[in-house]
Amino acid sequence: MKQTPNRRDLLAYGAAASVAATLGPVRYARAADFYAGKTIDVIVPFAAGGAADVTTRFVAPFLTKHIPGNPNFNITNLGGGGSILGANQFEKQGKNDGLTILSTTSSSAFPYMLKQKGVDYDLSNKRIAYALAIGPVVYAAPDTGIASPADLKKPKTGLVYGGIGATASDLPVLLAFELLGLDVKTVLGFQGRGPIRLAFERGETNFDFQFTSVYLTQVKPQAEAKKAIPLFTGGASNAQGKFTERDPVVNDLPSTYEVYKMLFNKEPSGPVWGAYEASAALTFEYGVTGWMPAGTPQEALDAFSAAAAKVNSDLDFITKGKQVTGGYKLQDGKAIEKNVKSALAASPEVAEYLRKFLVEKYNVKL
Amino acid sequence: MWDAAGSALIALFDPFRMLMLFVGMFAGGIIGMLPGLGGIGALSILLPFALKLDPFSGLAMLLGATGIVYTSDTIAAILFGTPTSASSGPTAIEGFAMARRGEAGRALGGAFLASMIGGLVGAVVLTLSIPIAGPLVLALGSAELLMLAIVGLAYASGLVGNSPAKGILSASLGLFLGTVGVAPSAPELRYTFDFPYLLDGFALTIVALGLFGVAEVIVMLGQGGAIAQEKFKLSGWMEGVRDVGRNWKVISMGSFIGVIFGIIPAIGATASTWIAYGQATATAKDKSMVGKGDPRGMLAAEGANNATITTDLVPTLLFAVPGGPAAAVFLGALFVYGYFPGPRFVAQNLDLMFLIVWSSALSAIIGAAICFAASPWIAKLTRIDFGLVAAPLIAVILLGSFEAKKTVIDFTTLLGFGVLGWLMKRAQWPRAPFLVGFVLTDPIERNFWLAYQLHGWSWLKGPIVMGLIAVIVIHIAITFRRAWIVRKEIAAAAPVTPSPATTASSPIFGPGLLLSVAALVIFGLGIYLALDFAPDSRLVPLLAAIPGLLVTLTVLIQYLRGQLPALNWPPFAEARQIAFLAVAIFAIPFTGFFPVLGVYLVVLLWTCTSLRYWSLPYAALVTAAIYGLSRAFNIPLP
Repeated sequence: MKQTPNRRDLLAYGAAASVAATLGPVRYARAADFYAGKTIDVIVPFAAGGAADVTTRFVAPFLTKHIPGNPNFNITNLGGGGSILGANQFEKQGKNDGLTILSTTSSSAFPYMLKQKGVDYDLSNKRIAYALAIGPVVYAAPDTGIASPADLKKPKTGLVYGGIGATASDLPVLLAFELLGLDVKTVLGFQGRGPIRLAFERGETNFDFQFTSVYLTQVKPQAEAKKAIPLFTGGASNAQGKFTERDPVVNDLPSTYEVYKMLFNKEPSGPVWGAYEASAALTFEYGVTGWMPAGTPQEALDAFSAAAAKVNSDLDFITKGKQVTGGYKLQDGKAIEKNVKSALAASPEVAEYLRKFLVEKYNVKL
Repeated sequence: MWDAAGSALIALFDPFRMLMLFVGMFAGGIIGMLPGLGGIGALSILLPFALKLDPFSGLAMLLGATGIVYTSDTIAAILFGTPTSASSGPTAIEGFAMARRGEAGRALGGAFLASMIGGLVGAVVLTLSIPIAGPLVLALGSAELLMLAIVGLAYASGLVGNSPAKGILSASLGLFLGTVGVAPSAPELRYTFDFPYLLDGFALTIVALGLFGVAEVIVMLGQGGAIAQEKFKLSGWMEGVRDVGRNWKVISMGSFIGVIFGIIPAIGATASTWIAYGQATATAKDKSMVGKGDPRGMLAAEGANNATITTDLVPTLLFAVPGGPAAAVFLGALFVYGYFPGPRFVAQNLDLMFLIVWSSALSAIIGAAICFAASPWIAKLTRIDFGLVAAPLIAVILLGSFEAKKTVIDFTTLLGFGVLGWLMKRAQWPRAPFLVGFVLTDPIERNFWLAYQLHGWSWLKGPIVMGLIAVIVIHIAITFRRAWIVRKEIAAAAPVTPSPATTASSPIFGPGLLLSVAALVIFGLGIYLALDFAPDSRLVPLLAAIPGLLVTLTVLIQYLRGQLPALNWPPFAEARQIAFLAVAIFAIPFTGFFPVLGVYLVVLLWTCTSLRYWSLPYAALVTAAIYGLSRAFNIPLP
């Protein structure tokens, strides 16, 4: 099943390449040449066992299988400083030879956007190899009296939400609450979403979100037992990069966008919506993103791009992916790079709004 | 339920699965002896292989590895005083002191037998508690977790040894240094001085390796000779068995503590062993031997950690909430196999649940039994010239410390805690309370703010919280009463105030004085800087630093008045070894790790052994082995 062309073909392709370097099949052959027998170093800037680590380790063997030349992936966990240390290391050591990747989450993107101290990396000039979504599902406890998103504005009891930190993956969800004008008491400082779910089951909180894979396996059974009411998802972006679509996996629930339209009878707009869109794109839609150093050869990026479609039609990836990631598709880095960059480069009003939101409402020191 | 338990046992005894269990145990046994890697190191290495097997065999392999790690780490702790995981700290204190006395066999035999008992208790409790574990986990919220951590801290005060003030000082220092980094429940950086390395504080592995590992190695290199200073006792093995028989109550209590801390997510084996150790030493009638080779504390700790690893899986399996990083990797493996732990998991996959219990328990029990049988031979290692052992040991300690954050600063931090541990040892400041305080900072602070945000002060009203408060009050009352009785007895026996002999023999300007001045500066600076913090990130640093400052002042005054012997400066041979290590560590960024390691080991062997020119090939061999290890474990050394 190996797709490596034999030597004779290669010679022929090589000759052709010098004549017409832009032709499709030629590029394919050069891509095969590019990664044959090579090893790609992947830095995961978190300790082993987290979402970025599990997702990256899950995807890597499928990339080996489908990238022309079958490169090996050597994954290193460089945890610390909420991913800042590993990302700095990547900035310092990553060469533009197509053999280094930083596989990380919005935990690296937000400190960069907010220009936090200690950030030595620049994401704006990086290239994107791949991305995998991690969607959120917001749900409530039955005793809040909320049976559907329409009841969100008039809960029977005060809403209590448990989170990790305002600049963590909670940020887009807190912005969604702000956008929807919900009166929620936020209790931050939990160690992870697992302990938060236990606090919900214990009744200490009554308003929560979990990522899709956990929602499908843990919260949905609770919902069937009428112990949790699923409400809405973070949504997904349309072709223009606007966050108006439903989550592709949990598409039976409305998106934040739809809930806003239902509650307020108008399109969301302004800096709060802009801030939500940018943070939701970085946290959810491009949940785990593979970044490559500036100046990475186009052949390398093309090889990842070509592999994405093949990975997504791999039956093994589809069945196992449902269990590990919730079933999101591997996104083609070439196709999403523009959207990722525009989410990262928030407009001055949005950046100012985000800064004020975090400083004034959550006492973040920026 | 019992059908499932039986069929799981039959499924496990399939020859191939048994083989996989043993493969896992073999890998875990080796990894347990290397510092810094622990269960998570074992899992990350085996995971790619395990995922190629059928779920039952793969899980047996993974659990075989994690189940034995806390048994094999006992070997390095007893023989070299090096805790390869922070949870083997108590064993490194007491077991190593026993080995120095020539009783390595007794220590090893007792520790492995206690481990075996802990593993058994854990497995039995886990089996029996499957139906009630769910409600139990749900009964323990942030307020209850906070109180459990404070119980741990209270018992740690039982580790104070001869001078309560030094013990409290040590615990405050640990608690305070634990607050470095991002505050757990406020978006604030504390004491990081804009230094990214400190963003999430000091790594526990480095603190433990420095305070105990480096400090012990330095002292022994300075003294020369073999680990066993006194005549080696071959009969020690059976003495260890008798220790276990004499202390069965302490071991059962330790296992019980281990079980409880295993079931609770996010506190884990490190806290459980220290608390079991503190409990055992606090309730001991005769405390004269604590910290100097008293088997009781070690036996309780060994029982506790093996009970914890088995029951650690309860929150993982019942709620998909991993108890620690190793459990998180294990959870990922379950997902890949297509199992979703959670409320329904146990009901639907009772056989798999039992397979997990049995694999983990078998690994812990068989592993301890094999080690127990081998302990007379392992103990003989203590007769070897220590310099020969020290070379690979310090190399592996360096390798393990680099696992923490994978930057050269890891080595510098290791050196810093090594010097601290060495001075503390020389000034007779207890190091155990430091480590307990350090471990418990995060659970105390995090859970206090969660409980307070969720419930206001009414969190104090919960029945479990009230019960735990009662435990603390009774414990403190007993401790004070006992201290009072002891003081009265001493006063009755010798009415003269501090013996002039000790005061006269040691200078005032000793390591004790140096340490208390350093502590004074740290606490003072800490309080000053904390004044700028937001209220919710200021509380815990101040709660550690203010009492710490006051106790330091009293200790300092005692030193200056000559009431507390500041003890002698360490001998030149030890200072020289610290200097060699420091030079090597500062050279690493310029020349790379392996050239430095090679040269440093030659110097170490030349100065501390009689190898002479044989030092060269031996250092080369050790360096090559470390290179191999770093490749095998994918550690990107500079």
